[in-house]
Amino acid sequence: MLETSPLETFLRGVAILLVILFFMFPIFWIVLMSFQTNETILRIPPSFIFEPTFDNYRALITGKLETNAASLDIAFMRNMGNSVLLSVGAVLLALILGVPAAYSFARHKTRFSEDIAFTLLSFRFAPPLLVLLPLTIYFQKLGLSDTYFGLIWVYQLICLPLILWIVRGYFEDISEDVEYAYRIGGHSWFETFRKIAVPLAGPGIAAAGLLAFIFAWNNFIFALVLASADKQPVTVGALAFVTASGIQYGQIAAAIVLSITPTLLLAVYAQKYLVEGLSLGAVKG
Amino acid sequence: MYEKEKDLVHSFLNGRLSRRGLIKRLAGLGVSATAAGSLVNMMATNAMAADFDWKKHSGTGVKLLLNKHPYTDAMIANLDNFKQLTGMDVQYDVFPEDVYFDKVTAALSSGSTEYDAFMTGAYMTWTYGPAGWITDLNEWIGDPEKTAASYNWDDMLPGVRKSCAWNGQPGGELGSADAKQWCIPWGYEQNNLAYNRNMFQKAGLSVPTNLDELVDTAAQAKASIDGVYGIGVRGSRSWASIHPGFLSAYANYGQKDLNVGADGKLSAAMNTDVSKDMHSKWVKMIQDSGAPDWSTHTWYQVGTDLGAGASAMIYDADILGYFMNGGDNKEAGNLAYAPFAANPAADAPSPNIWIWSLAMSEFSKKKDAAWYFMQWASGPEHGLFGATQMDFVNPVRQSVWADEDFRERLDKSYPGYVDMHDVSAPGAKIQFTAQPLFFDLTTEWAATLQKMVANEVPVDEGLDKLAESVNRQLKEADLG
Amino acid sequence: MTVENDLPGVRRRRIKVGRRVLPYILSLPALLVCIGILVPFVTAAIYSLQRYRLSQPWARKFNWGENYLNFLSDPDFWNTLKVSLVYAGTTVTLELMLGLGIALLLQRRTRFNNFVSIMLLMPLMTAPVLAALMWKLMTNSGFGILSYLVSSVGIQDFRWASSPDTALLTVVLVDIWVYTPFIMILLLAGLRSLPSQPFEAAALDGVPRTFVFWKITLPMLMPYILTATLFRLLDSIQQFDIIYAMTQGGPGDTLTVFQVEAYLNFFQSTNIGRSAALMMILWAITFVLSNIFIKNWLKLRERAN
Repeated sequence: MLETSPLETFLRGVAILLVILFFMFPIFWIVLMSFQTNETILRIPPSFIFEPTFDNYRALITGKLETNAASLDIAFMRNMGNSVLLSVGAVLLALILGVPAAYSFARHKTRFSEDIAFTLLSFRFAPPLLVLLPLTIYFQKLGLSDTYFGLIWVYQLICLPLILWIVRGYFEDISEDVEYAYRIGGHSWFETFRKIAVPLAGPGIAAAGLLAFIFAWNNFIFALVLASADKQPVTVGALAFVTASGIQYGQIAAAIVLSITPTLLLAVYAQKYLVEGLSLGAVKG
Repeated sequence: MYEKEKDLVHSFLNGRLSRRGLIKRLAGLGVSATAAGSLVNMMATNAMAADFDWKKHSGTGVKLLLNKHPYTDAMIANLDNFKQLTGMDVQYDVFPEDVYFDKVTAALSSGSTEYDAFMTGAYMTWTYGPAGWITDLNEWIGDPEKTAASYNWDDMLPGVRKSCAWNGQPGGELGSADAKQWCIPWGYEQNNLAYNRNMFQKAGLSVPTNLDELVDTAAQAKASIDGVYGIGVRGSRSWASIHPGFLSAYANYGQKDLNVGADGKLSAAMNTDVSKDMHSKWVKMIQDSGAPDWSTHTWYQVGTDLGAGASAMIYDADILGYFMNGGDNKEAGNLAYAPFAANPAADAPSPNIWIWSLAMSEFSKKKDAAWYFMQWASGPEHGLFGATQMDFVNPVRQSVWADEDFRERLDKSYPGYVDMHDVSAPGAKIQFTAQPLFFDLTTEWAATLQKMVANEVPVDEGLDKLAESVNRQLKEADLG
Repeated sequence: MTVENDLPGVRRRRIKVGRRVLPYILSLPALLVCIGILVPFVTAAIYSLQRYRLSQPWARKFNWGENYLNFLSDPDFWNTLKVSLVYAGTTVTLELMLGLGIALLLQRRTRFNNFVSIMLLMPLMTAPVLAALMWKLMTNSGFGILSYLVSSVGIQDFRWASSPDTALLTVVLVDIWVYTPFIMILLLAGLRSLPSQPFEAAALDGVPRTFVFWKITLPMLMPYILTATLFRLLDSIQQFDIIYAMTQGGPGDTLTVFQVEAYLNFFQSTNIGRSAALMMILWAITFVLSNIFIKNWLKLRERAN
């Protein structure tokens, strides 16, 4: 790393502070809202001072909302479960399918590999809305509508191209020499792939996997259209607090906080791979 | 259940005892009002079983597609009674309002057999009906084999009932003799004024009775109350901004959205002089004393602002004002209601209405069973239960509106509400021309209003352009 | 999966056959999974050649290019095209610059930088439709904290998404908030995996920092930048959630981007033919754009090797 002057350190500090302020303030505000009732959220002018309440979280987690009229059931935790199942399933499948394919595009170039890679990417161009009606019709014929399997399949539209193209770049960055050396040592192709190539592309796979997970997590149009209420993800669950008798901002804020948590934990867990990057400059081409 | 209580409820059900008398006397026996309500409801359910074969579809299951709404909550709260009455099983998928109609369109357009009945608005049936997705319910309503005598179809408010019936001809009159009953009204909304009584009192304002007064009162409210704007109306780029207050006022001037020619062809009717004048007042009202972010205001913002004391009044759905007078809203208890006729020359209000209704999927494989559910859910017993125990307002049945308990409860907590309803109900109906381009035309209308309010286009020029575009689209769809 | 079960058994004897077939075996499953989507895609393409309104099923017929031809004389369509391109261009450019800047700020491997980079992912983790709902509240003229802050620094009557003058700015701002972290994390991972020798050599030679950035960092990072930009561009030109939740395409026709128009045509007007034609054009635009990107990407790759 290069030397930095005190002025530069100072400017960098200010810049980072501004960045944190811009990106984190809305999150901070959402967290504050999640501890408030609608009454304190909807004040003019807005204020930082309020008496915190855990009612929003309690309602979401226990699934019971006490109103003046009746006790209503909230399926939010079920929505969370669905989101976890769908996103984890979709990303795992996309990794299993995408990482070998990415490796083959990076290492074993053939006449058609660019075309295949591009075709795979082009599935990402199709706006979901475009394929929605035919997809619904075909899924019904195939008996795939309202199944987790069918949804995970469709989620490949979101996850697979992302994983494929990001991971491919990382594979291409790894020097082939290391792999050669290992194979000459008498190891099979598969062992080389598993023991050398995949670990070296680890950060890329982690980053792509996490991003694919986030995009899968945030999607809801597919589940909305293709599945019934018991298979809806967290986004649809949170929208249920936008009701005719008012928007329950506190509960939506709490729902956002709860829905960010698993992804955030995943990111913190994968942090090592995600942002520490390769400190293996020596092996790079 | 104890014999004494049973006897009391029986006398009530046979008409020997008024509802209030019953609850009073049950209270004397130590039964709370809510429990008494449930008790009556249960007994009523048993009574229903007497003259009609409710068990015919026992063991059959039906599945519903429902919007997350207080009406749905009320139905679910009472659903066990239906299951008990019929021996049927009822499953339901409840989706958030924000995405509800997307789900309906997706399910129906793909011919899904999953749902037997679903919630809809009457406007939507102008698409669903011609598309062949929903069933004409006349066949069931008129069949004494399938519909209990106590269902009393004629009990439905005529304007509301007719608004759900259409012959499928573009421009065809709603509720005409050859009309198909595409859906059954469930609960409905009139568009009138809901205002903040405290603010009005403090600022010395009186309730406006026509559009000119409304413009003035809104301006005064804004000027005299700090940090509050005068009038809440919807403004987002959507059909939903046209159909409430705006169209109610528009129709009160005798204006129409479309003309129906002798040859059945449709043409734009919104660029008349009277319309331009009305539009100018409306636009000025929003510019002077509407919400600063009016153009993003949907149902939710209009309601939230009234409930949180950011606006002095709204000209929107009456039940929006109703909801805002309860819950954890800051202004809960401070709101009051008034009927509103925009045109000074008009005899009475003529609100356009929104009707949450029940429709039967054409793809259902259990139509008779689904009808059992629909007739129960839209029947007088559930109507009364929902209206008195839950927030199932506005009821669509005259018998519920005649119920003394209901009127009293409403009048006590919602000042002026009953009166407002009584005054405007005779003129309340859907004021649009039924035709399949409803959503295209109203969305464009809303966009035009936005341009007018932002001073991007003058009112008369904007309306002429709108009419031109509407005519072009009607031609393109072979309607004009 | 076939790939994993078969390959350990392949070994030396069959390695020659494997060499040639292997790439296909590896990529085929991924391709097959996606091919399933191709069928609905073709069906939708056929819809776009039909007069197809769900509310007029009897009038459904092939009108061939009419849906497309109608666009030529339709000012709404040209507005949609313009707005979509402006939106995508603005968001992607700004997010790229900002994302790169932040990645450079956080490049050094410190615990603080790692922590910040993970925290900055939180906006991306918020579902855009919910994020937009929250931003709508935060920019509300009465209850909105941002409106309040803006007015307390003296900017009166700033109307955010509800004025045609600032609506684009506001949704772009929300888009930046949500998606800059996407570019940031990809570029950060890229930056940190760059080999260190060229930088060490440049430092030893006393090469100016700006020169290092333009001549070494940026070119080496270019493949990552292209990948990140490509994905962001594909998503941005198809933006729906944020715009629809905040303005529904208004005020007026300020923000009627492709997906908003297509959504309204599909779900509200149920004019499937027009909706499908709109999206086919959107698809064609993204196809051309990504082709250009991929070509450049491959060129860069070749040069790098």
